[in-house]
Amino acid sequence: MIWGVLQFPGSCDERDALHACSLAGEARMIWHEDRDLGDVDAVVVPGGFSYGDYLRAGAIARFSPAMEAVAELAAEGRPVLGICNGFQVLCEAGLLPGALLVNESVRFVCRQVELAVESSATPFTAALEAGRLLSVPVKHGEGRYFAPDDVLDEMVANGQVVFRYAPGQNPNGSACDIAGVCNEAGNVLALMPHPEHAVDPLTGSADGLLLFEGAARSLAA
Amino acid sequence: MVELEAENADRLDQLCEKLLANPLIEDYEIEVL
Repeated sequence: MIWGVLQFPGSCDERDALHACSLAGEARMIWHEDRDLGDVDAVVVPGGFSYGDYLRAGAIARFSPAMEAVAELAAEGRPVLGICNGFQVLCEAGLLPGALLVNESVRFVCRQVELAVESSATPFTAALEAGRLLSVPVKHGEGRYFAPDDVLDEMVANGQVVFRYAPGQNPNGSACDIAGVCNEAGNVLALMPHPEHAVDPLTGSADGLLLFEGAARSLAA
Repeated sequence: MVELEAENADRLDQLCEKLLANPLIEDYEIEVL
């Protein structure tokens, strides 16, 4: 499996994402100006502060040539994973419903949290049973997931809520404790916590690696 | 507030919808000076 990891001006987590992907296949960096993704099977839109978060987080990155190619890849049903700023980019691009607002505390949060798996209907979570807890760090100032009530109802009914913060651990005031969502087809998944920072027990947890390995396994099946 | 010099004010609404604002979470008003 070949992963592509996008790199925007202002990205800061692309190296860790590249490393995480390399543990579950072959991984390549893709510069934001590249319109051609080559032969990649899946893409990670990583965390950071793309284009300095000017206007809104993700608002400018969504117009990059590489994101046009990501939209096409997603339409073909191939896996796309957005992490933190990548989540914001995918929402701005319309590939995922909702938006990410400033944390309820109006403070940057950086800590380890537990996520409960809500849906196994994505390539990344196919091997994870619903209810399983994953220990993954968060680090963001704009991670409060928002969607109108009718959209939230629809997402819950469609199984598009993939991760929730474990009870009492919502770090940002996200609606319904939502930490990660997917598109209707299930191939585009994004979450605010950072699975790419949790791929080695030395750093506290290797639970994040399960998402990368899961996608690789799903594609190979 | 965002101030812009634009040759064609007719496209300002489109500019707001597509880039300057996210209508899901933001309201906007256009004032042509």
